[in-house]
Amino acid sequence: MKNYSKFKRSLVAALVTLAFASTSVIAQRSGAPPQTGQSVVGADIKGRAPVNKEILKVKLPKAQEATLSNGLRVVLLENHRVPTFSMQMVVMSGGLADPSNYHGLATFTAALLREGTATRKSKDIAEQIDTLGATLNAGAGISTFTTTVTTAGLVENFDPTLDIFSDVIRNPKFPQEEVDKYKQRQIAQMQFQRSIPQFLAAERFQRAIYGDHPAGMIVPPMDSIKRITSADLAGFHSANYRPNNAMLAIVGDVTLKEIMPKLERAFGDWQKADVPMTKIPAAPNQGPMRIQLIDRPGSVQTVLQLGNLGIERTNQDYFAVLVMNQILGGGPAARLFLNLREKNGYTYGAYSNFGGSKFRGTVTSSSEVRTDVTEGAMKEFMYELKRIRDEKVTPVELENAKRAIVGNFALSLEQPNALLQNIVTQKLYDMPADYWDTYPAMVAKITAEDVQAAAQKYVSLSNLQIVAVGDASKARDVLAKYGAVEVYDADGAAIPEGKKPTQ
Amino acid sequence: MRLRQTFLVGLLLVSFVASGTVSAVPKERSVHVGFKETKLKNGLRVITVEDHSAPVIAISITYNVGSRNERQGRTGFAHLFEHMMFKGSENVGTGEHFYLIFNNGGNMNGTTNEDRTNYFEALPANQLDLALYLEADRMRSLVISKANLDNQRNAVQEERRQGVDNQPYGKSGEVQQELIYDNFAYKHTTIGSMEDLNAASVEDVASFFKMYYAPNNAVLTLVGDFNTSEALKKIKQSFESIPQQPTPPPVDMTEPEQKAERRASVDDGLARAPQVDIAFKAVPGNTADFYALQVLSASLQSGQSSRLYQTLVKDKQLVTNVGGFMDEKRGTGALYISATLKQGGKPADVEAAIYAEIAKLQKEGIADWELQKAKNTTRRNFINGLQSSLSRAVSIGQYTVYYNDPNLINTRLDKVTAVTKADVQRVADKYLTAANRTVVTTMPKPKGAATAAK
Repeated sequence: MKNYSKFKRSLVAALVTLAFASTSVIAQRSGAPPQTGQSVVGADIKGRAPVNKEILKVKLPKAQEATLSNGLRVVLLENHRVPTFSMQMVVMSGGLADPSNYHGLATFTAALLREGTATRKSKDIAEQIDTLGATLNAGAGISTFTTTVTTAGLVENFDPTLDIFSDVIRNPKFPQEEVDKYKQRQIAQMQFQRSIPQFLAAERFQRAIYGDHPAGMIVPPMDSIKRITSADLAGFHSANYRPNNAMLAIVGDVTLKEIMPKLERAFGDWQKADVPMTKIPAAPNQGPMRIQLIDRPGSVQTVLQLGNLGIERTNQDYFAVLVMNQILGGGPAARLFLNLREKNGYTYGAYSNFGGSKFRGTVTSSSEVRTDVTEGAMKEFMYELKRIRDEKVTPVELENAKRAIVGNFALSLEQPNALLQNIVTQKLYDMPADYWDTYPAMVAKITAEDVQAAAQKYVSLSNLQIVAVGDASKARDVLAKYGAVEVYDADGAAIPEGKKPTQ
Repeated sequence: MRLRQTFLVGLLLVSFVASGTVSAVPKERSVHVGFKETKLKNGLRVITVEDHSAPVIAISITYNVGSRNERQGRTGFAHLFEHMMFKGSENVGTGEHFYLIFNNGGNMNGTTNEDRTNYFEALPANQLDLALYLEADRMRSLVISKANLDNQRNAVQEERRQGVDNQPYGKSGEVQQELIYDNFAYKHTTIGSMEDLNAASVEDVASFFKMYYAPNNAVLTLVGDFNTSEALKKIKQSFESIPQQPTPPPVDMTEPEQKAERRASVDDGLARAPQVDIAFKAVPGNTADFYALQVLSASLQSGQSSRLYQTLVKDKQLVTNVGGFMDEKRGTGALYISATLKQGGKPADVEAAIYAEIAKLQKEGIADWELQKAKNTTRRNFINGLQSSLSRAVSIGQYTVYYNDPNLINTRLDKVTAVTKADVQRVADKYLTAANRTVVTTMPKPKGAATAAK
């Protein structure tokens, strides 16, 4: 039933994704490969295995673009490898378009799209989609600037799948009965989530970084859930789900010529309207270091998450942060994993991550460690965060990180959805048309000095936000070595100092 | 040697077959994976799929060993051993394997379940030599040290804590598996107990390696952008001199028939809401009844159209989540259903509602659309699984070790398509009975009463 793995990572978690099949493969000269007998903390590199020094250069397929009569933009990436397709409608309004006193409205609207249309009941939609062997999902985050509706299916079922897809996008009715049921499910779901330690850590961490900014919430607030009505959802839908405020992106075994008339029939008479531009709120300035501990009685591990405010997706430091993250904790060959797991045996895995939107994202490091090595794990985290700031990365580390990032492009050729996502990203952020073509060159340009500068800018120990979830009776004193510790229970209530956390 | 002409044409022979009599009905394209099978002198089975559509190679070595081969007192050992395979061999240092794979743009992992252990990597196509070297070196000359064993014992114990001991309902699955089975082979979890992991010694590692990690107990699958004859030459150079070992003793997989319902309850200090886990003991994978049970499971509990979702989540609003699957095993598998209740909900009510839906299905059978749903969903999942070289390599390796049938990748879809509504009703009657089920209910334990970690 369960499959236990060496690493808890998805099989093909591509760092970056680029081109698709039918590529010309050109060998490109790259820098020095890993050297013999190199000393790496947590690993012993004998250097005898035959590594090809060339990095395969892969060429991008170009997406085709078209526009429907009502202005809806269409982007198509043909992929005839297997007879399937997927498509997504990206609506340029998400949680950031929520009224400031009503966080979650965009999220609820997306979640209820498939709960009933003018001609289909919730159950009809479920049955029809499942009968086609298709999937249909819609989502908007509290701090996203888009809503995405996605369907995927067999190409022989393209027409009926498109019919349901366009129906839920254009004609949702948000039946009050379904809204009421959704509320009840959400309230129960939120109780369940509070039993998951990683959820508690993420929730507290986002709040620590973003405060009252929409990104400070990972689930809608309870008062929003309680007040949603069918009319609110219909209002948000009507104001924002418009062809002039959307883009339809498709990948699969179809041609533009074949699908354009179908898309015109499905979406061509969708009415335009003036949609207010979403204002992007800036992330707040970084506050001073805080240490927040969530007491979770019965925990046998401490979940640790440490981090800072990072960059916007289009920030000029993007490539420096990308390489820095790769070296710090971008995978099992990175410093955090090699140190905390391979050298010290504290954990099943330790990683760093970064991300950014139209406002600044975060740079975070995290791990789950058994309770009695919380102290050692904290020490190693602080050591690695300080080291990436204070010392230049070695030439071998720099070269490895670049090879890892650029080399992974070849694998992305087998992931059409990821390729489509890259094209969507390029459009959403108004990046240059050749952005993904120049990506490897941008990575190659990064120097050890750039990496250190990025670390000094975005890994700040004096502003570090530390969140721990675990047994407070044991973790509190360990964390107190780094500063004052605020303790909360799993429901978010502060446990005052002096009051003993649960045993 | 077979299917030679097929792989020359390419991996996916996409052809049109009319799927209906009416001309307006869209045509279904059939997909086919051409492969070549070779056996080395030392017994290593090699299956290659040449495919030039992306500059990628993927290799998977599937060893015919899993937690079913473990002995009493050494639960968790097959998986702990799997971790040791990354701690170095004669020419590859500790951790160097994944260091080289990731730093060259690849992906990799090793996984263990009851029935097999596999090791796989996908790399840019120009790194084929690297992949073969790394896999051959550890098959030939694993280095076994106490320090490395202790290090990975820690990592595995953290894996257990992260996935089982520190999660709500983590213990429930373990309790259920130990209750369902009578035969020790499956009567323990793959992750194993903390005590048994502590007991594992370097001698255990050495003898396990010699017995199970022999070329004649493994299948190598290579998929992707290479020339078959050149690749086979390299594979022979790398692997053929690794000595063969005596065939490992067969595992007795006999599972006595279950005569009465089995029940257990778990008090869980980390859970906030009750959960009900039900398993119906059934059949081994790749049997006619197995495929019929897969279709049954899709009707019952896959997707928002499923009977249990519609009844328990939508209509009665008793649970926050319900779902499950028909487990595929070489030995006796089971059909699993799991429902997480709303806070304060009564497990007995949920159980009764689930059994009522099963009784309805037994009485009335499934509808045409439900059969179509199962077939289309299977087809889409199957086709999506062909997208990446790695998933093809892993699937073919598993089918070969499980059923001695690499071609199952091509015939499996037909086996699902062959299922009829009558088959579904028949297996519902036969296997989804009270006497055949094992039920574990989990109740949240009041605050302050912490769970004792095992």
